[in-house]
Amino acid sequence: MYGKGILKGLSVTGRNVFRKRLTEKYPEVKPKLAERWRGSFQLDVNECIACGLCEKSCPNSAIKLTTEKTEDNKKRLSSYKLDRSYCLFCGLCVESCPKKCLRFTKEFETAVYNKDEVVLDLFNNQNLSAPTSSYAQPEKTGVTAGKEE
Amino acid sequence: MKTQTYTLNFGPQHPSTHGVLHVVLELDGEICVGSKTQIGYLHRGIEKLVEDRTYPQVIPYTDRLDYLSGMSNNLVYVQTIEKLMGIEVPERAEYIRVLLAELMRIASHMVGIGIYIMDLGAVSAVFYPFIEREKILELMSHISGGRMTFNYMRIGGVAYDLHPDFYPELDNFINEFPRFIEEYHKLVDDNEIFKARTKNIGVISAEKAMSYGLTGPNLRASGVDYDLRKISPYSVYDRFDFETAVGKNGDCYDRYVVRMKEVEESFKIIKQAYKEMPEGPVMAKVPKLIKPPVGDAYHQAENPKGILGCYVVSDGSPKPYRVHFRRPSFNNISIYDELFIGHKIADIVAILASFDIVLGEIDA
Repeated sequence: MYGKGILKGLSVTGRNVFRKRLTEKYPEVKPKLAERWRGSFQLDVNECIACGLCEKSCPNSAIKLTTEKTEDNKKRLSSYKLDRSYCLFCGLCVESCPKKCLRFTKEFETAVYNKDEVVLDLFNNQNLSAPTSSYAQPEKTGVTAGKEE
Repeated sequence: MKTQTYTLNFGPQHPSTHGVLHVVLELDGEICVGSKTQIGYLHRGIEKLVEDRTYPQVIPYTDRLDYLSGMSNNLVYVQTIEKLMGIEVPERAEYIRVLLAELMRIASHMVGIGIYIMDLGAVSAVFYPFIEREKILELMSHISGGRMTFNYMRIGGVAYDLHPDFYPELDNFINEFPRFIEEYHKLVDDNEIFKARTKNIGVISAEKAMSYGLTGPNLRASGVDYDLRKISPYSVYDRFDFETAVGKNGDCYDRYVVRMKEVEESFKIIKQAYKEMPEGPVMAKVPKLIKPPVGDAYHQAENPKGILGCYVVSDGSPKPYRVHFRRPSFNNISIYDELFIGHKIADIVAILASFDIVLGEIDA
């Protein structure tokens, strides 16, 4: 019978009308992001040893940092700028950090009003209050413990 | 009556061209009598850009070739460098790679099929596959932190082990996916309108498909049983039991059928890889600074869209001397100009969509 296929398809559509809604009401309900989410950045300046590995590992040279010498001849961070307009959010800088003080946060609403705000000044605004992502961070529990037998 | 043909610019800003493909059509009424495909609107010069990046820094750029299957692109690039350097990858990493590459194939085909049917006018048919794709993207974000640009594979393995949150969600996906496939077959397969729009439209014979260098589902729809996973298995593909999906007529309908079949076969591989996944390290011992020996290497793999090849020339420095990607969509669209002739505009939309092209890959 001609039109049988269409009726069969419509029965699927009909059944789905009564299924649970799958969409999220985004602005009212915030999505639950993955633990390793790559959002914006935070930097613990006190932990940083100013090695410059993050700057070197960036494919697009989005990170610009300067260092200075302290009285006891130690290297110290003096400025840290991360230009998000060049950033690929690949995470190679976070991975390369030996002290794990450069971290991803779970912020995802990163739109800003002015172009200047796209550049993150992580030296003056460490952004430590933002929820930290576990990307490239030492795992708290055993990594393979999750697999159920 | 005296008539004349006219020129119509199809794209680059037409939603049915899957991005920014530009086709200059020569039309006689509604029938196409000449066609010229123009590309380059999304050219970013990735091959040139990566010459100024170190070997690991190239990986995020491969995500942006075929942006619907970033993980598969990662895989081809890292395997090329591993071939060049002779690195043995740990067993667990190989299984993770296969698992993710097949998940990616499902995700990519879900977009391919969904958008294809939407372009033919069945808008509701796009939302069902996107539900499944969404689940896969969620899975991917658990392990890599991103939904489309993963940057997860590394030269010598994968970046990290799977996240504990990944396992219950994968179980969930494995449970629910067969029901979805059944439902989708019911929704689309026998639909008379879909059949009328796609059967005997854009027929490509096996000889023609091979002579134009088509690969992937578009080649197999023409009846050529050529799948690199079977013919020259890379990674650990030789350990899994699956079939290749092959079509008969090489028309638009067969290209849909082959993709659906391939999704089911990928699902088989996922179940096997997940069950047999061994424990152990996920990263081989590789030097911190990657400096491959002087020489070159070519590796190719069966991506969702076709065969993605990667050719890398090393001059012994930490940066590649030359990287070239053989992008499947680029080779696949070479047949368009010949295939469009004699079809109506509405059929051209069907043919274009049935190829499942991605402009990020065509223009690179």
